[in-house]
Amino acid sequence: MIDNNFDRRDFLKVLGWGGAAVALTGCGNTSVQDGKETVVSYVEAAAYVAPGIATYFNSTCAQCEAGCSVMGRVREGRVLKLEGNADSVINRGKMCGLGQAGVQHHYNPDRVREPLLRNGDKGETITWEKAYELIAQKLNGVSGDNIDFMTGTISGHLKVLLSNYMDSLASKNHFVYEAISPAVQRAANLKSYGVAMPRFHINKAKVVVSFGADFLGAWVSPVHFSQQYAQFRKGVDGQRGVLVQVESKMTLTGANADRWLVVKPGTEGVLALGVINALGVAGVSLPASVAAMVKPYDKERVSQETGVSTEHLVKLAALLKERSPSLVLLGSAAEGYAHGSQNAAAINLLNQVLGNVGKTIEAAATVPFPQIAPSLGSSAALRMVSNRLADGHTKVLFTYGVNPVFTAPSDSNFAANMAKADFKVAFAHYLDETALQADLVLPLDSALEDWGTQVAEYQPDGVQISIQQPLMEKLHANTRGMGDILLALIKKNRADEYAGFEDYYAYLRTALLQNKRQFADAGVDDDVFWNDLLSAGLVNVAGTSNKLVANLASEIRLPAPVAADAKFPLRLIPSVTANLRDGRHANQPWLQESPDPLTTIVWDSWVEIHPKKAAELGIVEGDIVEVESKNGAVKAQAYLFSGIHPDAVSIPLGRGHDAMGRYAKGFGVNPFPMLERIFDDETGELAMHETLVKITKTGTRVIVVKDEGAAGGNQHGKKIAMSIASDAVDLSGEA
Amino acid sequence: MYRFIRFAILLMGLMSASSSFAADAQLEPLTTADDLGPVVEQPIEFPHNRHAKDMGINCIYCHTYSRRGSVAGIPPMQKCIGCHQNIESVRETPRIKKLFEYWDAKKAIPWKKVHDLPDFVRFNHERHIKRFVFQQNRPVQEVCGACHGAVKEMTVARRQKSLAMGWCMSCHEKEHVVVAAGGMPIGTAAYWYSMKKPAIKADGTVVAKGPNDCSSCHY
Amino acid sequence: MSVTNLLENWSEFRHTHPVGDVPHDPYKWAMSIDLDACTGCNACSVACYAENNLPVVGKEKYAAGHSMHWMRIERYWPVDDTASLDPAQRDFPDQGAQFLPMMCQQCEAAPCETVCPVGAANHTPDGLNSQIYNRCVGSRYCSANCPFKVRYFNWYDYPTTENVWPAEMTQQLNPDITLRSKGVMEKCTFCVQRIRAGERSVKNEGRVLKDGEVQTACQQVCPTGAITFGNLIDTESRVHLQWKAQRVELTADEQEKDKEGESELRGYRILEELRAYPSVMYMERVRESAI
Repeated sequence: MIDNNFDRRDFLKVLGWGGAAVALTGCGNTSVQDGKETVVSYVEAAAYVAPGIATYFNSTCAQCEAGCSVMGRVREGRVLKLEGNADSVINRGKMCGLGQAGVQHHYNPDRVREPLLRNGDKGETITWEKAYELIAQKLNGVSGDNIDFMTGTISGHLKVLLSNYMDSLASKNHFVYEAISPAVQRAANLKSYGVAMPRFHINKAKVVVSFGADFLGAWVSPVHFSQQYAQFRKGVDGQRGVLVQVESKMTLTGANADRWLVVKPGTEGVLALGVINALGVAGVSLPASVAAMVKPYDKERVSQETGVSTEHLVKLAALLKERSPSLVLLGSAAEGYAHGSQNAAAINLLNQVLGNVGKTIEAAATVPFPQIAPSLGSSAALRMVSNRLADGHTKVLFTYGVNPVFTAPSDSNFAANMAKADFKVAFAHYLDETALQADLVLPLDSALEDWGTQVAEYQPDGVQISIQQPLMEKLHANTRGMGDILLALIKKNRADEYAGFEDYYAYLRTALLQNKRQFADAGVDDDVFWNDLLSAGLVNVAGTSNKLVANLASEIRLPAPVAADAKFPLRLIPSVTANLRDGRHANQPWLQESPDPLTTIVWDSWVEIHPKKAAELGIVEGDIVEVESKNGAVKAQAYLFSGIHPDAVSIPLGRGHDAMGRYAKGFGVNPFPMLERIFDDETGELAMHETLVKITKTGTRVIVVKDEGAAGGNQHGKKIAMSIASDAVDLSGEA
Repeated sequence: MYRFIRFAILLMGLMSASSSFAADAQLEPLTTADDLGPVVEQPIEFPHNRHAKDMGINCIYCHTYSRRGSVAGIPPMQKCIGCHQNIESVRETPRIKKLFEYWDAKKAIPWKKVHDLPDFVRFNHERHIKRFVFQQNRPVQEVCGACHGAVKEMTVARRQKSLAMGWCMSCHEKEHVVVAAGGMPIGTAAYWYSMKKPAIKADGTVVAKGPNDCSSCHY
Repeated sequence: MSVTNLLENWSEFRHTHPVGDVPHDPYKWAMSIDLDACTGCNACSVACYAENNLPVVGKEKYAAGHSMHWMRIERYWPVDDTASLDPAQRDFPDQGAQFLPMMCQQCEAAPCETVCPVGAANHTPDGLNSQIYNRCVGSRYCSANCPFKVRYFNWYDYPTTENVWPAEMTQQLNPDITLRSKGVMEKCTFCVQRIRAGERSVKNEGRVLKDGEVQTACQQVCPTGAITFGNLIDTESRVHLQWKAQRVELTADEQEKDKEGESELRGYRILEELRAYPSVMYMERVRESAI
């Protein structure tokens, strides 16, 4: 039919056994080509390995911190697809789009393949031995106080090794940085409930009021919460759960709400107190201190400040009073202000008043081995590292799993500060913005090639320790696992202690076997235990159970409404999307081409603006607009979107890389640098929603690349996507 | 209709004591070439005749994947070695020396494909082997030979049949007698699921065709 | 074939299955999608890319309408009597959005099949609308005639197009399914490779497939379990029970829900009035009336 030059033998470069796969795909060759290709054949093969038959291996997803367990579908020695592991209490066999794209992380053509040492503007390939020596040499004579290690959220035995390594360097400067993290909420939860991250039971609630928690998209453990959500919609005792979402910019969760309440940015706390007040008015008995505190928040005032109509406020209070238990969730949108902690306290108070604590909010179990419990990231870490670099305090900087040059606000001058360190080592998968600033770049194995253990922050049932194991041979000969690297580095300092561990695998095996009694019968044979563990891909332990405390907030200070800034009249909402998050996976093409659920835009950034505001400013869809803050500006296409407060504009995070790889570089804009450095009063977290901007037309216009369906998102009166009112439907007889 | 026939056949089977396996004898063992493929030079000139004819080794002993998966496959070298390490008489012959060279180097032998199919066609060995060898109890060499010819007469295998679609269809479109008049059904219910549209002829013979809609093989 | 013949025997040429005395047996593959559970998260769409070797076409080709997502999530804004159709005319979409997973509906009387000049689009005995790549000549009539716009044409030879599958990424491709080349039409197959593998394995065991033994990639991944796929003939299958509970009939062209006084049901098929008899039933999203 058509001559096809697709080189099918390329499939097999990795296999190392010089055979070609049997059922390779490609429509081009209609002719039978006997004697042209080689057949897969093995020297020695386990009984379960047969050409043409897929084998599944269990491992753990490393695309975000939720710790979902995955099964890799492996054929002829290559992993084809990631599917969910049904035994995991976190994801129960399900996956999200981001997780599935893990294979594109692994097979990514832009991965770093060799250790690179800076020589002017170029990176020169060096050997690992030389790299390790160089690190030892650069660390020689440097006080531990001047050595910083910056990582993303880290858990499991990698965390143990890292802390041992830092210990061997006499350094206490391990900074855990996450550009997007529920850090404010953790602090608020600790105050209100006594635990930072309790268990939420959406599935047991009859009403869920979510203040900007995008639990179906990007919040904490979305695959887990999506499953809870499905149960919640099916209902408890046949009563379908009701979701009310309160936010200033519609998230995926907001799009699924029965009622989406748009609030003036930052007034989530006011609304929460207003609801408490309305509950009191409706006859719910409030503790005296609470009643006094919410007294000023009558419905007229709250309505005026938040923009939510008194009618909806009263209805919401009535619904919450009538249907119990309910659940109030607190998300990133409510946290992202200078008064984020106050907002959070008000929202948690609402849960307490409604009596949800102990019903739909329960204490999570504590990881019985604190040394492998996750070290949780926050954005406050960035400020600390940046200041230390600026002061010249940091002489040697290691970065792993973070890209601060991409995610730091521009006036923190992170890149310039970083240049002040004498020696910067980046452990990297890609040559991203931070790796390009480093002196030494060490290429990492992908998550599908590496060993490890992971413990997620959010634990729905007991504590799950997830095993990560290679699903196939290494793709590139010269990449290394982070565990192996740390082990090699630590051996430079503590050779005797670690001599027994040939590699990270040996270390991991020994470490887990040591605690065998915690996981299995003590009598089980070591090899049997280990094989069972690997084949399960996870192990559950009960953990230490906790009790929630009930600390009612005694004072909540919410700021009075302020008049709009004359120069920067709009508020910037940097939105976190389920696929791109903070941008670390932007080089995975499935994620770039997967349309944003709400705008259906692909491969690019956009500025969401309310149609009324746009009309005021004369902006139409596709206008390239400049969004300018005190701290920088970006130019991007405008998208008219009624799911946003007219006083705000929104730009998604994650795009706008100027390095990293072919699928990330040059697509979209990066709003991180233009964020103003305003921090939450109590926790010091970057207040992501505090940036004020102005917006101007540049005069150019583009056609927005999106996919709103065949009829442009309009049903033209046809019954395509239909809905029905809950009082008109009988759900009881459904299968 | 189909259901009715299935039921009727089961009843007939219960009532009739005589068996008639020969009724399905439409699959002739095709041992002669009618579309000879190219001579393929292999890294080792493997003597199929020595193994399959002189020694009488079952095809499936080595091509073991054929009953488990879509491809028959080449066995892992450990299987060759498993026998040959104990056969001293041929240990020093050039071919076996070569085999051990590969083995010692732990390097897979780059066997060339002799039967290549276009990429949009799916052929499944397992189903054919299960049906004809295990469910109908036919001799293995006859079943394999239907598509591969008389391999036991060859050294290095060479394609014997065109493997073109028309050639496949010459079997799949044919009405196979599945039950002779007054005969007993063959095999288990499994056998029936592999047949499309069985029909009863006037004389009581039941005939059926193999799967022959496009998407059985093309997807 | 004369035009007279065509017109006189139109119903036979419509290829409606089941035809005459040859019912679907033992399988009729069908789906039901609960829009009240669907959150629009796109996991199904990504799963489809992974399972079915779909090319990532890039921004320019996407802009030209060349995207190849067999499973796409359509986003609509809710329509009710009081609100304007155009969201721009409303203050806020205060009842959220409406998501709709849209893929080949595997119509029983498929409009695409009758117009294919070479018979590349045809119907299988188990009720699939199959697309035979090696027969397809790329006339694109099928796509033009598809009311759901779920057929995707290979305008380029994606396997050789730069950055679609660079060398390493080819290793991710699923060998169980063809990699299509330029000039070929393609669409959702209900993961026919999984169905065929399942059918084969149970044939060996001498039984028919049980509910849940074959899952489509989208169904398997869906975090809320919104997608149910199965054998409509199997009276114990979940898909059968759901169709039955919603009183949706495969071969009817007016469903109970459309009749007077039956509004408590929420099962419907899209564009029922076209009499294409789709094999996918949707269940309406529910919106709370108390808030």
